[in-house]
Amino acid sequence: MTALTGRATAVLLGVLTVLVAYLWIVELRPRQREPVAAPAEPALLTVPLDAVARIDLEEGGRVLTALRTADRWTDGTGRPWRDDTIADLVGTLGSLRPVMIVDEAPHEPAEYGLGPGASRLAVAMASGRSALVLELGDRNPASTGIYARRDGRPEVLLLGGILTWELDKLRSADPAH
Amino acid sequence: MKFWMRLLCVIALAALLAPEARAADDQPWTLDANNWQEGKDILPDPVVKHLQKGEYWFKVVPVDPAKFHQNYSKAFWDATEANGGKYDLDEKTCGLKDKATGKIPDFVFGQPFPQIDKNDPKAGCKIAWNFRMTGAMGGGGGATFTLNGVDSGGQFRRIKAFIHSRGYQGRHFGPLKDNPENLAGEGIGGALEPVDVEGVSTLTKRYWNWDGQDALWAYVPSTRRARRVNAASRSDPVAGLDIFADDLDCYAGKVEYYQWKLVGEKTILAPLLQPYPFHMKSVSATRQMIDTPYMTAGYEKPGSKGAPWWIQENLVFVPRQVWVVEGQSTDPYYNFGKVIMYFDKEMYRIYWKLVHNRAGEYFYTAMCGYHFVKNDDTFSAVFPNLVVGVNDKTNRAAIGGRYQSSFLEQNWDPSYFSLRTLTHMTD
Repeated sequence: MTALTGRATAVLLGVLTVLVAYLWIVELRPRQREPVAAPAEPALLTVPLDAVARIDLEEGGRVLTALRTADRWTDGTGRPWRDDTIADLVGTLGSLRPVMIVDEAPHEPAEYGLGPGASRLAVAMASGRSALVLELGDRNPASTGIYARRDGRPEVLLLGGILTWELDKLRSADPAH
Repeated sequence: MKFWMRLLCVIALAALLAPEARAADDQPWTLDANNWQEGKDILPDPVVKHLQKGEYWFKVVPVDPAKFHQNYSKAFWDATEANGGKYDLDEKTCGLKDKATGKIPDFVFGQPFPQIDKNDPKAGCKIAWNFRMTGAMGGGGGATFTLNGVDSGGQFRRIKAFIHSRGYQGRHFGPLKDNPENLAGEGIGGALEPVDVEGVSTLTKRYWNWDGQDALWAYVPSTRRARRVNAASRSDPVAGLDIFADDLDCYAGKVEYYQWKLVGEKTILAPLLQPYPFHMKSVSATRQMIDTPYMTAGYEKPGSKGAPWWIQENLVFVPRQVWVVEGQSTDPYYNFGKVIMYFDKEMYRIYWKLVHNRAGEYFYTAMCGYHFVKNDDTFSAVFPNLVVGVNDKTNRAAIGGRYQSSFLEQNWDPSYFSLRTLTHMTD
């Protein structure tokens, strides 16, 4: 057996270092990482909740309006909205994420209750800048959610049924009643 | 003359053809797919959908309000009235507070808040407390019941189980002498059938404090060990069925676990085994038995119509005024998001609850049925006897309860609700 020269030893050590580095960088390290969560779909409302200053729900030729004044929400004629109905709706919009995209490019939006005649929820900030516009369609067959389109985009989303609950609360809290 | 004869004939014919048309507001009538529009305002939305499709129908039985009020004992109502002004709520936890001491009261009997102001920001929590203390009036007892998993093809799983409980708070006849652990109540439950779950049991202890968690132990015979379980597991499905531990009594958690908000009031159909109380028979100085009829479901009745999980017999629906209350758990491990509950304004039972998941998706409705027990004006009890949990996302359901025999027990052996009992259940 021939004894290794210093140069050969250095070469072998180099090869070993490369192998160890390969094992560490390529094979082992990825397994030690925390699983990376898929990027979550952003919430419907991405602006700070206290920046919301106006909400309009338009349906069947009727418009429900909520305007933020200094310390409360009023309708278009200055009548106050009850309690925290508006805060609940804004909070829901600020936390609700689409459950799924149901149809990227619907041929017949009316099949989802969308298109002309659909309800429309518009949220704006004090500057008048739009924060969100939702076109609201039918509930899905299982009633777990509601079909909607966002900001004039074509794709049909499924939103959680909690939104229909908050909208029902809004309708029944109409200061005009 | 011919015209009047014809008119009379038409009216008579119409009366004959009208399917159980309502004769008067106080007469029983049937709400079904033929007149589903009449159910739109007296049932939760997801339920109306089943009604419209002919999967559900409702035998509506109006009641005499004064007689219905007397389903609870005079002792209970007198105590409720006397509670006016005595109690408040802890700001931070929504725990019940004695105004006189600023602390949790030693003992409460009757509804702690006889008057609810709907503009009170704490109204939701006060309603929840009225519910909790009303349900506690019986003091303790037990029943053997079934859990049935049902889908469109019929029953796919059946579990027979029992539950025994003892209440320290809210009971008629005052507090028990010994309560060394300062409990509000405790319970033990176990599976009896089928073999694969036989002996699986749980012990729960609920402490009478504002911020303490329930202590829960689960025992599995194969490991012969009782292990502590997180209280948030009450939002997990029971044995893989579409029913949750928190469905017992429609809400089984501590009042302090939820944030409560009163959001409305309306009339709703209340599911009851019968509108007025059952009688009980004494089998010992401390134990009374109550026999109740079985509520047959569609899957058990050949040729039945409607959803296989819909109750076909021995269930009536009474129109009742309710508070609509939102509840949301503060526990990050709790599976439910916003839960909407319908509480009777007078009898303080929850008849329906709609559950959203944490993503805001509605997925589940629980219909909660009850029966009342009363012999005289000194004692009464209200039993949760039915939960029909329907997962509208998966179109499956589970039925819990439907026991035919139950009992009230005023004097359990002091050592019964213990880990020793739990671990020796299958000996």
